[in-house]
Amino acid sequence: MNCREYQHQITLLLYEELTDRERTGLDTHIHECADCQDVYEAEKGMHVVLAADAAARLDLPSDLLVESRRALSDELDRIETKRSWWRMPVLSGILTPMRLLESGALIAMGLALGVYVSTHTPQGGGAQPAAAALQESAIANSAIPRDATISNLRVVNTDPSTGQVELAGEVSRSLRFQGKMEDQMVRSLLFNGLRDTNNPGSRLQIVKALAQNQKPNDETIEEALINALLYDDNLGVRLSALEALKQYAGEEHVRKAFMAALSTDTSAGVRMGAIEALATKNANDTELAKSIREVTEKDDNSAVRAAGLQFVGSGK
Amino acid sequence: MEAILKRAAQRVHESEDEKLLIEQAQGGDREAFEQLVRRHDRDILRLAFHMLGNREEAREVFQETFLKAFRSLGRFRFESSFYTWIYRIATNVSLDHLRKRQTLREEISYESDVESHPDRPALKDTLAATTYYSNPERRLYGKEVGEKIQEALKTLSEKERLVFELRHYQGLRLKMIGEIMGSTEETAKNYLFRATQKLRAYLTSV
Repeated sequence: MNCREYQHQITLLLYEELTDRERTGLDTHIHECADCQDVYEAEKGMHVVLAADAAARLDLPSDLLVESRRALSDELDRIETKRSWWRMPVLSGILTPMRLLESGALIAMGLALGVYVSTHTPQGGGAQPAAAALQESAIANSAIPRDATISNLRVVNTDPSTGQVELAGEVSRSLRFQGKMEDQMVRSLLFNGLRDTNNPGSRLQIVKALAQNQKPNDETIEEALINALLYDDNLGVRLSALEALKQYAGEEHVRKAFMAALSTDTSAGVRMGAIEALATKNANDTELAKSIREVTEKDDNSAVRAAGLQFVGSGK
Repeated sequence: MEAILKRAAQRVHESEDEKLLIEQAQGGDREAFEQLVRRHDRDILRLAFHMLGNREEAREVFQETFLKAFRSLGRFRFESSFYTWIYRIATNVSLDHLRKRQTLREEISYESDVESHPDRPALKDTLAATTYYSNPERRLYGKEVGEKIQEALKTLSEKERLVFELRHYQGLRLKMIGEIMGSTEETAKNYLFRATQKLRAYLTSV
């Protein structure tokens, strides 16, 4: 292989797309070739800058997803309505009365629900006349707050003989809350947000907020950050949690978390970060050095193996 | 190791669950289709938003992708994962939009002809108002570096841009990117290599 081919592989190395054999060959070549070593350093530097950009671009404008989902749902409704009208002449004798009933029930439910949502008091004051007219299934919606938005409402089932209609939809309510990081409510909201598997961007912001407001011996925040480091699916979130925990790498439970990340994380970046953090705060811990050596000598990434050896060396 | 095994087991479960949802959606179950959409829509919207750089087009790509999926789901034969299939649709739709935009740019000048089209805003103003970094939240993030990267991304060809987006920003493996493009992993590797070379050349020159 010539240098150009090896330089092609450097890109793939940084994206962890090389086989073990290719990686070993490239490692050897880079150590022997000054030109390729320079290219490797330059590529690595650019990779770090681009990775930071990727982490910062994780989130979408907050309302864009909601808007897009709503527009898609409306369009699907339109298509389904079109289809159902298209089918009508075929079995019009049977379908027309049913569809009229269904439409009638829908209109009645929509009106009743609209009146109910606009007049209902959350304190559970006297029952409103419109609400009283609702069937038991609709009353179950009493959890719908006044300022909530109902979207995607559709009829799941109708029974013309009883007039029973089953509806499905989504209720969402905007939230704006201010408070100190010490407040239980603030914490509860943030920790809940960390469990929102659909939104890595918001999880990243939460981890950063927790990191900025973290105080020594605040075990709850530390635990949340450790959870993010060990279990979050998103690399950017794990890296941010790692960064936030670095200053506490001398504490036993944080040290254990870093060791767990070093053993299990699929990203070499996280494993490298864990070694660096452990090295900074535990340079003279020979037991820890031994454990790190045991874990890293089997690592399939050469940079991690080298960092592990360096730590062991510095501990001697 | 335990965490890895746990995640692997979870993925197997998710994949079986998804197969069931696809079959239900193929049978006309709208609820099942919407659940499938919810599993992937954030990724698809992020891809569209990054590729097109503005929310209007991102929303159009999002809608077009899932409507195409809705109409052709009956023909899905489980020969690839649903994830690959939906990404393939989304990338094709995104590329179509990029091509249309290119044609539009060729047809009308960058500066709007205010006299003949007083109702049409200058294209440069439209672009400035809709590009990614016009969002106030984004301004907080390293604007200069971010802008340079955006500029550098514009030097890439369509395919280079697509492969780079899917690998770097969406985190997909090159093997899957090859499948999405209806090509091979080797081809995806070559595009990624060329993309990073061009980005490096641009970013080191500014």
